Order: sequence, then structure tokens, then C-alpha cells
Amino acid sequence: MRPALHAEWTKLRTTAGPAWLLLASVTVTVALGAAVTAAITCPNRGCGLDPTRLSLTGIYLSQAPVAILAVLAISGEHSTGLISTTLTAIPHRPAVLTAKATILTLTVAASGGVAFLASLLVARAILPANGFTPAHGYPSLSLANGSTLRAYAGSVLYLVLIALLSLGIGATVRDSAAAIGTVLGLLYLPPILALSIDNPHWQRLLQQAAPMSAGLAIQTTTAPSTAPIGPWAGLAVLAAWAAGAFLTGTLVLQRRDT
Amino acid sequence: MSPGNGYAFWRLLHAEWTKFRSVRGWLIGTAVAALMIVLFAVLTGASAIGHDAPPVPIGPAGEPVSDSFYFLHQPLHGDGRITVAVTSLTTTIGGDRGHDATVPWAKVGLIIKAGTGPGTSYAAVMVTGGHGVRMQDDYLHDYAGQPGQVSAADPRWLRLTRSGDTITGEASTDGTHWSRLATVRLAGLPATVQAGLFVACPPSVQGRGTRTAAATAVFGHPDLQGQWPQGMWNGEQIGAGTATFGGYPPLPTGGAADIHGQRMSGGFAPSGDGFTMTGAGDIAPATRSDLPAAGVIGDLLFGTFPALIALCVVGALFITTEYRHTLIATTLTASPHRARVLAAKAIVLGCVTSLTSLPATALALPIGERIARAHGIYLFPVSTATAVRVGLGTAALLALTAVLALGVGTVLRRSATAVTTVVVALVLPHLLVLTPILPASAQRWLSLVTPDAAFAVQQTLTHYPQADSVYTPTNGYYPLGPWTGLAVLCGYAAVALALAAILLRRRDT
Amino acid sequence: MTEATIEVAGLRKRYGSTAALDGMTFTVGPGGVTGFVGPNGAGKSTTMRIILGLHTPDAGRALIGGRPYRSLRRPLSRVGALLDASAVHPARTGRNHLLWLAHSQGLGRRRVDEVGGQVGLTTAIGRRAGGYSLGMRQRLGIAAALLGDPPVLMLDEPFNGMDPEGIVWMRGFLRYLAGQGRAVLVSSHLMSELQDTADHVVVVGRGRVIADTSVADLVAGASGGRLTVRTLAPDAATRVLTAAGASVTGTGDGALAVHGLPAERVVTVLTAGAIPFSEVAPHRATLEEAYLQLTREAVEFRAPETRQAAR
Repeated sequence: MRPALHAEWTKLRTTAGPAWLLLASVTVTVALGAAVTAAITCPNRGCGLDPTRLSLTGIYLSQAPVAILAVLAISGEHSTGLISTTLTAIPHRPAVLTAKATILTLTVAASGGVAFLASLLVARAILPANGFTPAHGYPSLSLANGSTLRAYAGSVLYLVLIALLSLGIGATVRDSAAAIGTVLGLLYLPPILALSIDNPHWQRLLQQAAPMSAGLAIQTTTAPSTAPIGPWAGLAVLAAWAAGAFLTGTLVLQRRDT
Repeated sequence: MSPGNGYAFWRLLHAEWTKFRSVRGWLIGTAVAALMIVLFAVLTGASAIGHDAPPVPIGPAGEPVSDSFYFLHQPLHGDGRITVAVTSLTTTIGGDRGHDATVPWAKVGLIIKAGTGPGTSYAAVMVTGGHGVRMQDDYLHDYAGQPGQVSAADPRWLRLTRSGDTITGEASTDGTHWSRLATVRLAGLPATVQAGLFVACPPSVQGRGTRTAAATAVFGHPDLQGQWPQGMWNGEQIGAGTATFGGYPPLPTGGAADIHGQRMSGGFAPSGDGFTMTGAGDIAPATRSDLPAAGVIGDLLFGTFPALIALCVVGALFITTEYRHTLIATTLTASPHRARVLAAKAIVLGCVTSLTSLPATALALPIGERIARAHGIYLFPVSTATAVRVGLGTAALLALTAVLALGVGTVLRRSATAVTTVVVALVLPHLLVLTPILPASAQRWLSLVTPDAAFAVQQTLTHYPQADSVYTPTNGYYPLGPWTGLAVLCGYAAVALALAAILLRRRDT
Repeated sequence: MTEATIEVAGLRKRYGSTAALDGMTFTVGPGGVTGFVGPNGAGKSTTMRIILGLHTPDAGRALIGGRPYRSLRRPLSRVGALLDASAVHPARTGRNHLLWLAHSQGLGRRRVDEVGGQVGLTTAIGRRAGGYSLGMRQRLGIAAALLGDPPVLMLDEPFNGMDPEGIVWMRGFLRYLAGQGRAVLVSSHLMSELQDTADHVVVVGRGRVIADTSVADLVAGASGGRLTVRTLAPDAATRVLTAAGASVTGTGDGALAVHGLPAERVVTVLTAGAIPFSEVAPHRATLEEAYLQLTREAVEFRAPETRQAAR
């Protein structure tokens, strides 16, 4: 396993693409978070906004470059034919995918950690000026606060799980365009569908089962009792999606001719 | 241009079409897109549950309306005139903790109505919470009178005069000098009408939601003239069981209002020689927030999104595979004029995708509508022309998306990045506009300048100035008109293609 | 069984309705270059991909040193393979391509520079692989195959895209590797490329082995008692030699190919007929001729040949 990890790490760091994608992910996380926190105001007590969640809005966009990175980690090798070389060097398929998953986990966790920490600092600088003050019921954002810590740490985990989900789909679908289309569809469409159907039962079910709506429940810090799914349960749903995709990808890599 | 160029371009189109149809994956992608549109129309229709929903009042023009208010009325025969003074209008908003918010379209005044059934024809003259004196008739028509708020020190006199099927509304600040607001014709107004005082108060719009509200007004003595004798006044809540009636707010209980506590109710009591009346409801065209359970035909086209992703993949691959397999060199050797190659690709892609999407939307809309109606869902009515526009516009939206993906794919030369860019540019703003996370101003901005603006082509609801509502894209109200919205996407596609053409010429292949 | 063997037995593989492999069986032993020859589509690449565990056969087995490829630990120290030289990430430098492969086998940077030098990529190795010529990519592929210093080497069409200088280098290099005791399997669709390189050939057509023999035997068999006669009077020579019981055909370059008579008898007959001649020599067939003769029977190969003749 060690050599496989070392090889995947060398692969990742010897092309410029992954670094750019991670940089893009960090940039949009911070930029969008800053834009949103700058746009919201809280003129009086009880304005019903969740500044923690709003400062993390960037995740809606920053998961896209992470998904590209993860999809390309495997389907990029299919399109160049490099996958044959990889599997010749490491014939044990699960080891290849596990090594890729591990490297993705570490890099996405690191960049996500940096991104969300920066978002937190930006939000702390901007929010008080917009009326999010202790007097209005909003103490300064701090990781010492349990639910804020959960939202921030959970967002890092969310990005990691998105990477694993995308890796699994990339290994299953192989063509990078089709794979990224599938990932984006799986992420962005169920929440839109949930809003366009009139049946509240189905709506709730969709919000509980869809990877993005469920996974982002981890960002909730207010009124979790009315939410369709709890923070950790939601992240577990996303983890199940990622695990399912990863297993399918391993199986496909194992069974199909390359 | 030499005379042979037209023919040469035709050959180029033919070549690109041959390329397109000979890749099975692209044909499958295009077919999947069309299937998704139809499939989701069926699913969305079938997943709806509308049985046991209260009836939706329908106005004289066939549109859904709110027709609920507290009515102090008596039947009156023939022509006549009714006059009254209003000396006070106050509103109570459910859940509000003491600040004296007004409901701008709280309405109190005089009304002549064909009957007490919901949706019947009427003409009314009224004092409003924030829009001064108005005359309105048959839900859709609104005439402005003197602005300003009413108080005991600054009362308003209102009067309605019936003459045949025309009704004239007038207002005065002193009871002697009258100014006419309008004379309206109510077709088919029966000889005996219900006329009298009314109090209506629509729910107060607060951010993305509404809160139930009620209005209380103090009237002077209602004076009847002409053929109309003084008779008994009957108090009655109109439209209590209709779908568009939001109900009464909870009783204010001094401190924080308990939303689960006892509710206010409509009623009247004599005060001086007149009446004090409380009422809730509205007399206006219905908006989406009045009818939360109703659907719009745009909802049936959720399939546009999966279709859009599939066509993005096809559009991007149409050019990026040429780069990956260095086929681009062959293509550009066969026809060295870069921009023309790109134009041919865009035309082929645009034609194929719109020709497959159009039958899909043409099929999806009537099928989805039929299924949704069979499930008892009320759909906001649309004219045939509007339905055709939605179908055509959706097909155009999909074709433009594919062309945008082609342009972005040429610029980026990587299919995964190109697909992500286009999908995120279209779908993410839509998601952020629909979900209540961002402030409304940010949402409005997103649906103005991002390619998501194109979804305005699916809107079928009307923004009524005389009715306050949550006019957001979430509810089906877009800031741009349908074709203007589509033009925004058109602009993006054009810019992407232009950039692609420049880069194709500049870059070595 | 030594480590340096490839053993392929009864491989069958269908893709839809076409049988790519139809009972492919052969063994490659150590210390020599084995040519793996056959027309395009004969199943050479499929066989190699099955040996490497990239494709799964419908039946049969392929073993490296007695074990299936997928069970090997650090496989690049058992087998080095070059399949598709263009399968590199265009943005990665040659050195980094070798580096990640080295890391996958627990090898270090020093080994990368060693194999880079061995294949003569010392200067280009720091450049992006996307800018390599096909010949340079072949060298990079060979370097990758040599990384683990494996006893078995398997190269799919390594001569493709090489300039004459490169071909000469490649031939010498393959001989050198075999001389170190390795088993070297080299596929090619052009027999001539393997002249003076291969000791042994496995000739395949339509998914099965047509011939599995040493190069010396193959050439001897194809030469089969044929003589070349050069004369200024070919018509007279043909007449007298036919009369003496030989079969004679013109070779087109003014010489005659004579079958059925020993060389001494030919000289006697020509001298007796007073026919002047400048040369009577036993014909030595080229590997190419031997190969063409062998594959003439394979239907798949006959079709393109007749088309060529009709041109």
C-alpha cells in the first residue's frame, strides 16, 4: 500500500492541474463566503439568519473543482490510456483506488481546512459591522462554539466525501465529461427537484436522501428540530453515497477490461 | 466571399453532421435529454397530491383570485348610490411584537358585488393601508385616487353609484367636494346586487414569507340613496373555505404572540352611528404565495435540468474529443477557416438539440398537465400562446446551453472543466435562487446576470402591482421577461463562441 | 520453472461476435529475443494485455514465472512492459512519469535517472512528455519497462515511429537485454524489423499460433533447396534446366530461381549447353519471405495480399 500511495502522490504533484483546481476551490470558498457575509445585514434582534451557514456558502461552488479533481484522478487516466500503466505497476485494483482515495482525502482535507479557516476569519471581520453583534443575539463566530465547530469541521468532511463520491463515479463511468455530468447532476438536481414537486412527503424524502442536501445539513447551527435530517445523520447519508460509489468503482475496475 | 463559399459552408455543415451522428454516445446523450424532459413531467405530475384541497375561486376573466373579506351587506335592487366615511384603519399582523407595521394593501370601503359567491364580479372603492384611496373592479383593474393615510382627523368619504351595469366610484376628504376615481362597466351585473361595507387584509409580506394579518376599520353611517332603501345589514365572512384565504392572525396577547393560540375573527359592532369592523382576506388576483399548493407549468419541466447536463456533456465533447484525439488537426486541414468550422459545429449542435428538445417539451407539457390535474392539482392557467412560448423557449434554452458548452469546451479544451463550468453557471445560481439561504437582493442579482436568467422563459405568472406577494423566482416570478432572460444566455453563448473563434485562430493546434 | 518465463496456454477471448483469441498457446524462455509476429488484428496486443492482467480471458491462462500477473507483488521487478507509448500525461515530464512508476515499486529517484540514461533520454527527460516525438515516447516506454530491472520484458511494437538510427539502437539494445539472460518478447507486424534481432519467433494469425520456431529453422525451411542462377541467356537456360527436370521461375531482376536440382547438376547442365552464367548460388530466404510463406495460408492475411496484387 505504501508504494501505491507514494506513486499516487507523485502523480498528483507532478502536473499543474490538481494544484490549480485546489487553489480554485479555496478561492471560491473564501470569495463567495466573503461576498455573502458582506451582503447580509442584521438590523435588529432575531433577524432569523444563520451567519455560520452563510459564511460557508462558498461550499456550493467549491465542491465543483473538488469533484473535477477527483473525477479526473481516475477518468483522466482512462482518457490518456495511462490507466494500463498504472494497473501494470499496481495490479491490485482496490489498492490503486484506495491509494487515490487516500491522497484525495488528504489534499482535499488540507485545502478545505485552509479555505474554511480563511472563511471563518473573513466572516469574523465582516459580520459584526453588519449588525451580527452580541446585542442582536449573535456572538462572534468561534470554533469554541460546539455547533460552529461542527459546521466548519463538517464542511471539510463534506468536501472529502464529495471527492470520494466523484472518484467512485469517475471509476464507474470512465469518460470524464459524462462522469462529471453525473456527479453534478447527483449533487445539484435533487435539491431543485425537491423545490419543484408539490408532494411534501417526497420533498422531505429527497432532502433526506440526496447527497448534497443531506450532507450540507452538517452546516446547520440553528433550529435543527425542523430540519429534514440532523447534521451527523446527513453527513452519514453522504458517506453512504460515497461508499457506494467507491465500491461500485472498485468493482468495475476489477471486472472490466482496461 | 467567392461564389463557392456558400456551397463550401454547406459541405462543412454536412461533415459536422456526419461527425455528430456517427458517435453513438452523443446520440444517446441527446435522446436521454429528451427522455428526461418527458419522464420528469410525468413524475412531477404523478407525485403531486391535490385531492381534498379547498376550491380555488376563479374570477370573471378565468384567472384564480382571492375573494375573501368581511362583508356587511344587504341585497339592493336597481340603481342607487351608497356613501360612507372611513375614520380609522389599523392592522394587526400575526406574530408581530408590537411595532405598528401597516399592511399596504389592507382594504376597507364600499363594494357592489354580483353575489356573495367566491369569484363573482364586483366594483369597490376603498381606503388602503399604504396606497391611498383606490377604486378596483373584477380583481384585475385598479385606479389610484388620493394618497395618504386615513385617521379620525383626516377621514375619507367614499361613494359608489350604480347606473345599469356601470358603477362610478368617487372619494372626498370633506364629504362635499367629490373627485371621481373611475366609472367601470361590469358585464352581466344582475339587477339585485349585494352591496355594503367591506374589510379585507391580505397576509403581510415579510422577506420570503407572509404572516396572516387582519384590519380593523371605523366607518361612519352608510347612506343609501336612489332606489335603494335603508335595510338590515348582515355581517358575513366571504370566501372562508376557499384555497386563497389565509385565515386570521392569532389574538395579540400583550407580549409575544402565541401563534398556536386563539385566533382573531371577523365581525362588526355599532360605533356611534356607524360601525367598527374587523376582517381578513383579500380581493385581488391570486399570486403563488396565496396558492401554495398550486402548480405552474414550469414545475413540470424539471427535466430541463438533467437534459441540460446531458446536452452540456454532448456539446463539450463535440469539440474536446477532437482535441484529445488530435482530430482537430484533420478537421482544420480539411477546412482551414477556423471560425467557419466553429459556426458549422454550433449550427449542427444547436439544430440537433433544439429539434430533439422541442418534441420533448411539446409532449411533456400536455402530459404533465393532464396527470397533475388528474391528481387534483390546481395549475395556474396559461394561454396557448404562453404554453407554446414555454415549450419553444425551453428547447431554445437547451440548444443554447449545448452551444455554450461547445464554446467553453473550445476555450478550455478539457471536457470535464468545460462541462462543470457550464453546468455550474446554469444550475448553481438556480439552486441558490430557489433555496432560502441567500438574501433576496443577492438572489435577484443572480437571476439577472447569470445564465440562469434564461429560466425566465419558463415563467407564466403575472406580477400584479395591486397585490403584494413574495415575487421571487422561487415562487415563479423572475425579474426579467421571458425573452430578455433567454437573451442573457444567448449573450453568454455568443461571447463564448467569439472567444473560442479568436482562440482557435490564435492557437497552434 | 524459472522466473524469466512467459507461459500462455489456451487463451480464448471474444469481443462481441469476433473471436480475438482462439486458443493462443506459447512459451517464452529466458536469454533470448522472441519475436511475436502477425498481421494487425491477429491478437498480439490482446494477448499481451491478458498477460498483464489488463484484460480477462474467457478461457485459458497466462503466467509470468509460473504466477498470474495480478498476484505479483512489485510486478515491475518481474515484468517490464511497453504497451502504448502515447499513454502518458502530456503535462507531466518524462522524469516525473518514471518517478511515479518508480515510487509505485518502492524505487527511488536514482533508478529513474539510471534507466533514463540507459535509453538515451538524458536531456529530454526533463521536458513535458506531451512534446515528445513518437520515437522519444518509445524510449520513455522502454525506460519505464526497465525500471524494476525485470527478468521478463514485453514490448508491443517498439519499433513504431523510430528513425533508422533508433531502429538500429533498439535492435542492439534488445540483444543486449537478452544477453543478460532476460526473456524478451517483442511484437511486430513487420517481420523485417526482427531480422538479426529475434532468436525465436511466434507467428500468429486469427488469434492462434501458426508457427513457434527458431529463426534459423524458419529461414532454412523457407529457403528449401532453391538456387539462384544469373545468366545473360535466361531463355536458353530455362529451356535446358527444365529439360533436365528442374522447375524454373524468373525473379524479375534478371536472375532465375531454380528448384529440384542440386547446384553441381545445374552447373553441369549449363556448361553442357554452353550457356554462359555468372552465378549459381543457394538462395537464402529473408525472414520476411519465410513469414509471408507461412502466413499465406491464413485467410485473414490473404485478403489484403490479393488486393495488393490487384493494384
